[in-house]
Amino acid sequence: MKKRRSRYLGLGLLVAGYAFALFWVFTRSTPVVSSRPVTIRIAHWQIEKGPPDGVDAIIKRYEELNPRVKVEQVLVPGRVYNQWMRTNLVGATGADLIEYGVWLDGLTDIPARYFEPITDEMMRPNPYNKGTALEHVPWVQTFTDGLLNQRVNAPDPGQFYAVTLTEVSERLFCNQELLRTITGTNRMPATFADLRVVFEQIRAYAARTGRPIYAMAGARDNASWLMQYLLQGAMMQRSQRNDRHGNLAVYPWEELGQYLEGRWSYGSPEVRAGLTMMREVSVNMKPGFVQSLRDAATQEFLRGDAVFIFAGTWDGTSLRRLATFPIAVYRFPQPTRDDPVMGPYFYGAFADGGGGTAMEFYLNKSSAHPKEAIDFMHFMTSVEGNQLFTDHSGWLPSIREVKIPSDIEAYRTPLDCYSFGAEYMTGMGSTVAAAVMRNLYLLTETHGSVDQFVNAMEAAMPEAVRTDLRKEISNRTIIVRPQDVGIMAAAALSRRAPQNGSLPLARERLESSQTQSEGLMLQLGRQLEVAGAAK
Amino acid sequence: MFAPYPEWRRGCGAWLCLTLLPFARAAAPATDDTAAAWQLMADHLVRDAYVRLDQVKGPPSRESDFAQAVVAVDYQPVTQARLHEAEATFAALAAGNDEIAEAAAYMQARLYQVHFQQLDYPRAAALYRALAERHPESHWAQLGLVKLGLLLLYALPEPSAPAERIGAATVLLARIHEEKLQRDLHLQIARAGTFYDQPLDSVLAHLIEVNRIGGLVGQAPEDLAVELGELSLRAGHYAQARAYFEAYLRDFVPNLRSVTVRRRLADLAALEAKAKGLRP
Repeated sequence: MKKRRSRYLGLGLLVAGYAFALFWVFTRSTPVVSSRPVTIRIAHWQIEKGPPDGVDAIIKRYEELNPRVKVEQVLVPGRVYNQWMRTNLVGATGADLIEYGVWLDGLTDIPARYFEPITDEMMRPNPYNKGTALEHVPWVQTFTDGLLNQRVNAPDPGQFYAVTLTEVSERLFCNQELLRTITGTNRMPATFADLRVVFEQIRAYAARTGRPIYAMAGARDNASWLMQYLLQGAMMQRSQRNDRHGNLAVYPWEELGQYLEGRWSYGSPEVRAGLTMMREVSVNMKPGFVQSLRDAATQEFLRGDAVFIFAGTWDGTSLRRLATFPIAVYRFPQPTRDDPVMGPYFYGAFADGGGGTAMEFYLNKSSAHPKEAIDFMHFMTSVEGNQLFTDHSGWLPSIREVKIPSDIEAYRTPLDCYSFGAEYMTGMGSTVAAAVMRNLYLLTETHGSVDQFVNAMEAAMPEAVRTDLRKEISNRTIIVRPQDVGIMAAAALSRRAPQNGSLPLARERLESSQTQSEGLMLQLGRQLEVAGAAK
Repeated sequence: MFAPYPEWRRGCGAWLCLTLLPFARAAAPATDDTAAAWQLMADHLVRDAYVRLDQVKGPPSRESDFAQAVVAVDYQPVTQARLHEAEATFAALAAGNDEIAEAAAYMQARLYQVHFQQLDYPRAAALYRALAERHPESHWAQLGLVKLGLLLLYALPEPSAPAERIGAATVLLARIHEEKLQRDLHLQIARAGTFYDQPLDSVLAHLIEVNRIGGLVGQAPEDLAVELGELSLRAGHYAQARAYFEAYLRDFVPNLRSVTVRRRLADLAALEAKAKGLRP
């Protein structure tokens, strides 16, 4: 009897399990056959609070408008992004749209090898802007900066490769309560000289109370952003002198070439001034901070162990959502003409943003659905799509006509400051960047000094600069070679369809941008040849 | 005969179509596959183009030979042996007297300029020169002259003095009749001029021509607009500088460079006042 009951119990459990599995398969799980025949993937490393929500909002609306297409957002942590991108692109398994930044270590060849230009599309209006003020505006001109950064960093000067989602700037985020507790006022320092006074007050408070409080939350990333900011400011006069082409801008490859020509070095007085200011700030960070990444600085600030954090607005949403105290956002106080360190090299207020839009998405050459991927690019950078991103991410928009929520208005950099583009640090090339970051501790640690850093960099730079210039040439070669095939193909197709006016235009553009790239390659090669081998 | 049976007629029609299809395919000109291959190359699908060209039936045509050599130039992994085979094909085709001959001669020079592992600029220059002698009005010869100009500006051993390099490239302009190609060489001569610190007036003359012809895309148009203003200012042509700076502010999306341009306009006003002996 007992045996029979347990047999029924077993059978009952089996039937119940089967019924549950049926229920789950037909009601809760992903359909075996997707109702959407096309799936595209968009991958990025912006896993901070905000951007994933923004991209989700775009996807939700896009899928409503396009029932054939499913869009998947792939979030890849920054720590593994470089390896993830390289291996997936080599294996032709990368997402259709991929975020890439020119500063990513050791990846300068990626755009040339794996990304597809979208120049023709950029010259036409974005179809998703129909009914808006941008309806008839070419896509490229709908971006708040006309895709300035993207154009500058494009592997081929005559081509467009990416769209951007946001505008970024660098700001000083302040723990208002802590500032008031220490200084007795909420008033922010207006100049760098005022900031020196606040640093002093914070050091005195920490010594008096025994609380381990620092003026600035420190990490290798935040220090690197700050140093770029200070160096580009200190070097503006020299950048203008070195701007031989009259661009009012100095491109990264020009910084390298000018170094070889002896037009600047880390021993130049302007660089030393910038480094001196960097040291002044960094001694107000927790010792040993160069070992930590940005998350550590964020945590230090959120714990109330630092009054300020210098960060990009990309960290703004995380800081605001996670902090238990009110955060105020300020522009970093700048040195003035009478500053004892930077004064002699003063040019004007230098840029803390506004240099262009970012979060660049590129079209993977191996995409199985390039048309749909470009269509999604159109939507996410339309007025509607970019408004969704802004509203859900707390990040600035990249598209004109998008309304900026009042709580992030302070992130926007008005056109009231100068930039020549050159930051004389990590943007020049991956080898120089590695040398800077390897030697940063010599500048920032308690026992470090400007001289130690300068000496180490002057020893590393001759070879690092040559290596990065050679990489610039080889990256452009990767672009230029296949263009011959494209030019010949456009010409052959044009012969067969002379009535198609777009083919000669495509060929002419390709020829023109190829010639520009080759001119630059030969110029860089000449600089290397004249400079000779590193001594 | 089939009038009372329309469904029979339709059925027979379909049957005939299906039966004749393979014959029609076989009879179709081989060039259709070549055209498809060109389209694949234009779409950057070089591997697919390579496969498609293998399917070309019948005796090879000059065009299919040319297409096969072109695709080999970017068929990954590119090998030196394959490039040398392509060169032999280009050289043979270049002996002809049609547009394929001109394009093949151009591609042969390109191999020496950018494709071979061991580049040979003098050889590339000689091939561009020979092409321009033989087919002076061909587009490929004209484009070759632009590339020859680049080599003269930076890479060839002679002439070695910067002014002579620029002079030699400038001479080529008279032989280029396609306006857009003239523009590209003018731009390169101007860039070389600032690179070699040549007199600004000579640089400006080329930039003004580039601006007149127009049609650049990407970063170049904005750079050009600023360069025209800034170099005019440095050369002391204040009215011209003002006109170009104002055009820049009017024609381009404002960005941080506009702030510097506004400052340069203020500098310009001060310089103009100084030139007139007035206080700014």
